[in-house]
Amino acid sequence: MSAVDFAGVSKTFSGKTVVHALADVDLRVAEGEFVALLGPSGCGKSTLLNILAGFERLTTGTVRFDGRTISKPGPDRGVVFQEASLLPWLNVWDNVVFGPKVQGVARAIYEPKAEAILKIVGLEGFKQALPVQLSGGMRQRVGIARVLVMEPRALLMDEPFGALDAQTRLSMQQLLLDVWQKLKTTVLFVTHDIDEAILLADRVCVMSARPGRISREIPITLPRPRSIDDLTNPAFIQFKAAIMAEMRGPHGAH
Amino acid sequence: MTVVDTTQRSEPVQRAVVATANSGPAVAGWMPLAGQLSSSLLALILPISLIVFWQWSGTNGVIFGGALPTPDRVWTAWVNWAFGTPTFGLNPYVGTWLQNVVFSAERVAKGFLVAIAAGVPLGIAIGWSRLFAKIVDPTIQWLRPVPITAWLPISIAIFGIRDFGAIFLITLGAFYPIVINATQGARAVDKNWIRAAQMMGASQTSTLWRVVLPAAMPSIFTGLRIGLGIAWTAVIVAEMVAVKSGLGYVLWDAYYVGRMDIVLADMVSIGLLGYLSDRLIVALSGWLLTWHRLQSFNQ
Repeated sequence: MSAVDFAGVSKTFSGKTVVHALADVDLRVAEGEFVALLGPSGCGKSTLLNILAGFERLTTGTVRFDGRTISKPGPDRGVVFQEASLLPWLNVWDNVVFGPKVQGVARAIYEPKAEAILKIVGLEGFKQALPVQLSGGMRQRVGIARVLVMEPRALLMDEPFGALDAQTRLSMQQLLLDVWQKLKTTVLFVTHDIDEAILLADRVCVMSARPGRISREIPITLPRPRSIDDLTNPAFIQFKAAIMAEMRGPHGAH
Repeated sequence: MTVVDTTQRSEPVQRAVVATANSGPAVAGWMPLAGQLSSSLLALILPISLIVFWQWSGTNGVIFGGALPTPDRVWTAWVNWAFGTPTFGLNPYVGTWLQNVVFSAERVAKGFLVAIAAGVPLGIAIGWSRLFAKIVDPTIQWLRPVPITAWLPISIAIFGIRDFGAIFLITLGAFYPIVINATQGARAVDKNWIRAAQMMGASQTSTLWRVVLPAAMPSIFTGLRIGLGIAWTAVIVAEMVAVKSGLGYVLWDAYYVGRMDIVLADMVSIGLLGYLSDRLIVALSGWLLTWHRLQSFNQ
């Protein structure tokens, strides 16, 4: 059974101008698989993720997560937002333990977990800092930590490194590779960065826009564990060439 | 022009000397000087000038022709009002200042707290639920244009000349800005904060308490400051008409018997209390809303 199963999913935003954000999307993500949704802005990749998260409803089709249809957001699907979207009045620690706290998890259980995760993301010295006092990269580390502490069945990441500078982005990609190598969680990762998609994912789903659909799926067979050094690997370049050709091709958005 | 010319001709030597002596630090020397003259000192220049002018014009009968008591007479009246020993003489105000301050402050505190208790939850609910907004908000908007002064007769008719009438008016006056700003705050909550909370397993109630309310806090405090200002206006109006104690009552009573020195001392007292209570709210918001303050400075 797949962890995630989109079947014939369409999404139409009605309003003054009707927007067909998604048309007949089929996508299956296996348990423990890392899938990247790659495409230009406006291709509906974030909408697809928001539907799985339970933030938005689909117009037609079905989405199943662990075999169940999705009715609302929940801690089994941890979402990492583009701008981290931390709660600005809570310090790093309180942001990280927010999930377990509202779920009524015992302090003795979540505290050691939160400590360990803060260490993994390198923020053990910043527990008392407010989000506004952190850099963009550090904020996103908190965004990842607050999700990991809930031990979600899947991670849904919506261009999480899109707003970061190139150097920070590389270190965050490495961090995510390391974390995933340990946890092997199911990940759905939305990005418009070809390098990022290839580096991180087991499979890249290239999307085209208007209406949004998956135009091609490319398995990335680069060996694991990976690191950012793979970005210059000849095999990596081949995947990149194939994806660029696909994005430029007859199905492409341009 | 002539004056300027003369100065320019007579001073070049002196100016040259000054310029040589301070040449380097002359410009830079100004900045620490301005810094030393702290902002609180700068703030006092205008009021002190006004008081000096008031005293001078009163003493010389230049502008107010002596009808307005001078600051020294107001001061004497206040000292007597505040610290004098009550007697059975013709001056009923002696030694009653603190008592009246407490009367007024207590009414403001009571009315203001009721306004908060009603306005904040109601505003959050209106901002959070569209259905609730449709049911309640129009009524609030229709009632709001009726000034609290217009409520005076009905308030007296219902509550009589008693404390409750004054508190009712204060509550009503402070309620509108509090409810409107709380609504605004709850409506302006970042969509992704709510999504994040729900994703982390927060229930509706939990989301309201832990996300919407704190996110609306900066806006709520804006409402509290405006509301408190109106509360002081309301207490004075109410005490002039609807009760027989407090600073507002003394103000009107003193006017009737021609004690303008008491009227002015009373006005200053009201201003001071209003100012101090506002500082209290500002200090509280500074303490509670560090995150918001830091955010504003960083942006």
